[in-house]
Amino acid sequence: MDAYFWIILIVGLLSTGICLGAGILKKAPNDLTILSVAAVELALLVYLVGSIIRVIAGEPIAGEAWEFWGYLATALLLPPAAVYWSILERTRWSNFVLAAVGVTALVMAARMNQIWY
Amino acid sequence: MEEAPHVTAPEATPDKIKASKNTRNTGPGRLLIAVYAVFAISATARAGYQILTKFSEAPLAYLLSAFAAVVYLVATVSLAKPGRTWFKISLAAVLVELVGVLVVGALSVFDPVQFPHETVWSLFGRGYAFVPLLLPILGLAWLYRRRPGKRRTAL
Repeated sequence: MDAYFWIILIVGLLSTGICLGAGILKKAPNDLTILSVAAVELALLVYLVGSIIRVIAGEPIAGEAWEFWGYLATALLLPPAAVYWSILERTRWSNFVLAAVGVTALVMAARMNQIWY
Repeated sequence: MEEAPHVTAPEATPDKIKASKNTRNTGPGRLLIAVYAVFAISATARAGYQILTKFSEAPLAYLLSAFAAVVYLVATVSLAKPGRTWFKISLAAVLVELVGVLVVGALSVFDPVQFPHETVWSLFGRGYAFVPLLLPILGLAWLYRRRPGKRRTAL
């Protein structure tokens, strides 16, 4: 597991925690929960840029390269999709949808790390 | 235009509003659809990968993987769509999913050769924190609570 994974682990768990908390407190998605999901997206973008630099620098991906990029691309799509979904219906349930992003990104980052090394 | 129902039949208005909206894709239903969507994406990607790269290793398991992916896709779309027909499709998809996870789960325990532990439903979805086993149960509970018979107006 590399630094990228740990960053996503921390940001993802934080985001999930914030969104779960807001959902349990019966709040509609607000700036805090949406920004926490945006932070997950940012962490994934850092992973993307970092990975591109590493590949250009000549570091090999141990597993299937396209599988790695597939995971990363899919993970990058999740936060915008969840935010879009939560804006369409502003109820507490949308916060649970947002909460799912952090853990999903975390699981996907773990899998990406497995593929890379 | 909005005023007309109020004037003619005030008591019919809430029903009308309810009937015009899909009751299955709001509230907890949104979370359910979101989780189904994640599974549809991951199952499709996984099945596609397995079939393209190592189909001959365990054709039956990987075909089941693809089948599971289709079931998740159908469930996701049908849960998000309004109307009785989509309700029936949802119900069928979720029931197939429940049977699938139980049968494949049991088979993967008894026959690990034909069923390597690499489908979403293997070992009752243990690789996915048993969410595949939980999801159809939650899905059925949700569909039961929002069954069309509860509404007075058919769509």
